[in-house]
Amino acid sequence: MAAGRHLLLATQDLREVVAASPVTPLPGPSKGIQGVVLHQGEFLPVLAWGDLPGCAGPLAPHPVLAVLRPRLAVPVERMLGLVDTLPEGWVEPEDETHAWASVEGELDDLRAALLDPERLVNLLRRFRLEA
Amino acid sequence: MQPPGVPLDQPFNDVWSECEDLFTQARATLATLKTPQPAHVVQASVNALFRTTHTLKGMAGMLGFHSFSRAAHRMEDIFDLMRQGRLRSTDSLTDVLEAGILALESGMEGLRRGRPEPDDYLLPLRRQLGELEALARPTEGGSRDLTSMLDLPPKTLKALSDYERTRVTSLLLDSTPIHGLTVCLDYATFDERLRTLSEAVAMHGELISTLPADPPEDWEGLCFLLLVASAHPAFEELPALEGEVLSMALVADPARVPDSLRAKPDPEPAPRLEPEPQPPPQHYPEMEILRIPAQQVEVLEARLMDVGQLRDAASRWMRRTPGNLHDEPVGLLGGMQDGLLEVQKTLLQMRMVKVESLFSRIEPMVKNLSRELGKPVKLTFQGGELELERSLLGRLGEPFLHLVRNAMDHGLEPPSERVAQGKSETGALRISASQRGRNLRFDIRDDGRGFDLARMEARGIGLGLIKEGQHYTPERIHRLALEPGFSTQDQANQISGRGVGMDVVRAEVEGLGGEIHLSSEAKRGSLVRLAIPLSRAVLSCLRVRCDRQVFGIPLGNVHRVQAGREILHGGDQLEVLGKSLPLESLQACLGLPEPEAQRAFVVISQQGGSAESVEVAIGVDEVLGRGEVLLRSLPELARIPGIMGGSPQEEGILWVLDPEAILGLAMDSLMRRVARV
Repeated sequence: MAAGRHLLLATQDLREVVAASPVTPLPGPSKGIQGVVLHQGEFLPVLAWGDLPGCAGPLAPHPVLAVLRPRLAVPVERMLGLVDTLPEGWVEPEDETHAWASVEGELDDLRAALLDPERLVNLLRRFRLEA
Repeated sequence: MQPPGVPLDQPFNDVWSECEDLFTQARATLATLKTPQPAHVVQASVNALFRTTHTLKGMAGMLGFHSFSRAAHRMEDIFDLMRQGRLRSTDSLTDVLEAGILALESGMEGLRRGRPEPDDYLLPLRRQLGELEALARPTEGGSRDLTSMLDLPPKTLKALSDYERTRVTSLLLDSTPIHGLTVCLDYATFDERLRTLSEAVAMHGELISTLPADPPEDWEGLCFLLLVASAHPAFEELPALEGEVLSMALVADPARVPDSLRAKPDPEPAPRLEPEPQPPPQHYPEMEILRIPAQQVEVLEARLMDVGQLRDAASRWMRRTPGNLHDEPVGLLGGMQDGLLEVQKTLLQMRMVKVESLFSRIEPMVKNLSRELGKPVKLTFQGGELELERSLLGRLGEPFLHLVRNAMDHGLEPPSERVAQGKSETGALRISASQRGRNLRFDIRDDGRGFDLARMEARGIGLGLIKEGQHYTPERIHRLALEPGFSTQDQANQISGRGVGMDVVRAEVEGLGGEIHLSSEAKRGSLVRLAIPLSRAVLSCLRVRCDRQVFGIPLGNVHRVQAGREILHGGDQLEVLGKSLPLESLQACLGLPEPEAQRAFVVISQQGGSAESVEVAIGVDEVLGRGEVLLRSLPELARIPGIMGGSPQEEGILWVLDPEAILGLAMDSLMRRVARV
C-alpha cells in the first residue's frame, strides 16, 4: 500500500526495503522529491507521492521505504505480500497514472497498479526540467 | 588483467590494481631519472624499472596477453641494457622510456576494458627503440648489427638471415636508405609476378630480402615485403597490373644511425654504473602495503556515517535532557566528533590521488608527439595539487590522451605556418585543473588554428547531423566534433583523425556525470573544458544560518563577511570597501520564502576572484563560524540549483552552496526584481 493505493513493485526493480527514517527536506523547490535520507553513507532521494498525477489527497504515514534500483526511495504504508505472476487482463492505465505505472488491473478484487521505475524517473526528470 | 573471454571478477580487480601500482611506481622512478642523480641512484632506479617491467611481463604472460607480455619484455630488455651499462641515462632515452611505459599503461587500460590486443603495443616507438637496441648491441670483433633500426614488426625482423642482417648494417653504414615495398598479388600468378617485380626492383637498387607479409583484411591472395636498399628509388615506375597493390615506405633512414656506430668500433663498452664511489646506503624504513578492495572502504565509510549519526543523536539527547548538560560528556562527544571526521578524512584520502598523477601521464606523450610531428610545444600544467578520486583517474586517462593528440595534431600548426602568421614557432598547450563548485574542471587550451567551423558545418550537413540553410550557433557547430564518426580529416593518420576519439571522450565524460564544452577562435586557439563531478570532498566552509537551515560556503569564494549592521533587504546596494555591490538574500537565490530582513551578509565571488570577477553580497540570518565539512554530492534526482551537496551534522544536514551557481542565481533574482519594478 502506498499513497492510498494498492501497488505492485517488481522484485527485480527493488534494491531493498528499509525502515523509514526522518526525511530532510531539500533547500529549494523540488517537485516530486520530498527530501533525502542517509542510506549506506549516501543521500537517497525520497519520492513525494503527493506530487504525482493521480495521487493527490491526504497521505498516510509511511513506516517503510522501498529502495528502487535507480536509487530512489518510495514511501510505503504497508507491505502486503508477494505475487508470483501478474494476473491476466492487466492493461495500460488510461488515466494520468500511466506517467508512473505500466499496467493496472484487478488483484484479489482490489484495483492495483504496477509501478514502472523507468517511467517514474522520467516523470521526475520532467518535473525538474519544467521547474 | 582479465584474460580474453574471462569475465571480470574480484581476483582480476586485484591484478588490475597491482598493475596500476606498478605503473605509478614506474612513472615516479622515471621522474627521478629526469633530474641529475648520483650513479647509485640511477642504478637503483633502473633496477627497479627492470623489475617492474619483468613483473608486468610475467603477469601478462600468465593471463594470456602475449602481445602485452612481448612489449613488456622489450622494455625490460632496454632496462637490462641500461643495467649493463650499455645505454647511458640521457634525457632523450628517458623520454623514450617514459613513452614506452605510457604505451604499456594505455594498453593495460584497453585490456581492462575488454579491447582486443594490438600486435605491437610499442608500434609508435618502434624506430626509437630500434635505434637504442642498435646503439647498445655489443661490437665484439668490430661487427655491428643495425637491423633493429628497420621499422618493421619483430616477427619480420626475426626472419632475416645472418647475411641479410650484415647487408642491412653495411648499407646503412654506407648511408643507403632502405625501403620496404609491399606487393599483394593474385594466387594464380603470384610467382611469375613476384619474379618480374623483383627484377624491376633490382634495376633501382639492391634487393636485400623478399619476406612474407600479412595481407590486408579483404585481400584474397599473397603479400610480400621486398626489402630494397636504394639512394634513388623510382618504384612508381614498377609495372603493376590492375588490381595489384603496391606500396612503398622508408623503413630505415641512414641519417639516424648513431654517430658512435659510424666511427671506429669502440673496444671499450660504456662504463658500468656501479664503479663510481657510492655514499653509504640510505636505509628507508620497510613499508608494508596493505591492499584493500575499494568496496570495503566504501562499506567502512557508510558504517562511519551511521556511527556519526548515532553520536549526533546522543549529543542531541544530551542537550535536550534537563540536568544532563555536564561539561564532561559534552566534551567527550565533541572529541568523538573530531575523531570521526579525522577517520573519514583519512579514508577519503585513501581514495584520492593528486591531479598531477594524471598530468604525469600526459607529459611524455606530448614530448613524443612533438618530436614525431615536428611541432615544438611549450606544455604547462596548473592545479596538479588538487585531488580527484582514484577511480576517476583511470577513466580520465584515455579521454585526455585523445584530447592532447587532437590538440597536437589538428590544433597546433607546423612551425613554418605559425611563423608566417606572426606566432611564436613554439606552440603552447596549457592544461589546468580547478575546483568549481562540485566539479573538478579541466581546461585544455592550445594556441593553434582553432576549429574550422565552416568545414565542420559542411561536414555536419554531409553527415545529416544538421540541416542546410539553418543558422547554428558556434557552440552547436563545435559540438558536432563530439558526434560518433565525425572527422573533417580526409585521411586518418597514426595520431588522430579516424573519426573516433572525441565521441569516446564525450561518452566517458558523460558516463562520469560530467560535461564537455568546446570553443575556439580562428587562428587564436581552442579550448576543451571538462567538468567532472566529485562524489565527495573535504571542504573548508563558512557556516551561515538562514531560517532554521545551516549552509556552508566554501571559503575560497568568500571575500568578506559582515554581521550585525543595519537591516538589509534583497535588492539593496551596499558599499563594501569602496565598491558598490548588489545584495540578494540567500533564500531568494534558492527559491525559498524570503525573510523580512537580514542583518548579515557574505560577499562571494568567483574562485580566485580577480579584479574583474563578479562579486555579490548574499544576505543571511546569522554567521556561525568556519569549519571543515565532509561533502557528499546529491544524487541526480535530488539536485537543487546552487547546492553542491550536503554534509550530515548534529543539527541536521548542512547544505554546501555552489558559490559560482549562487552568483548566477543571485544575478537572475536581482534582474527579476528590476523587471518587477
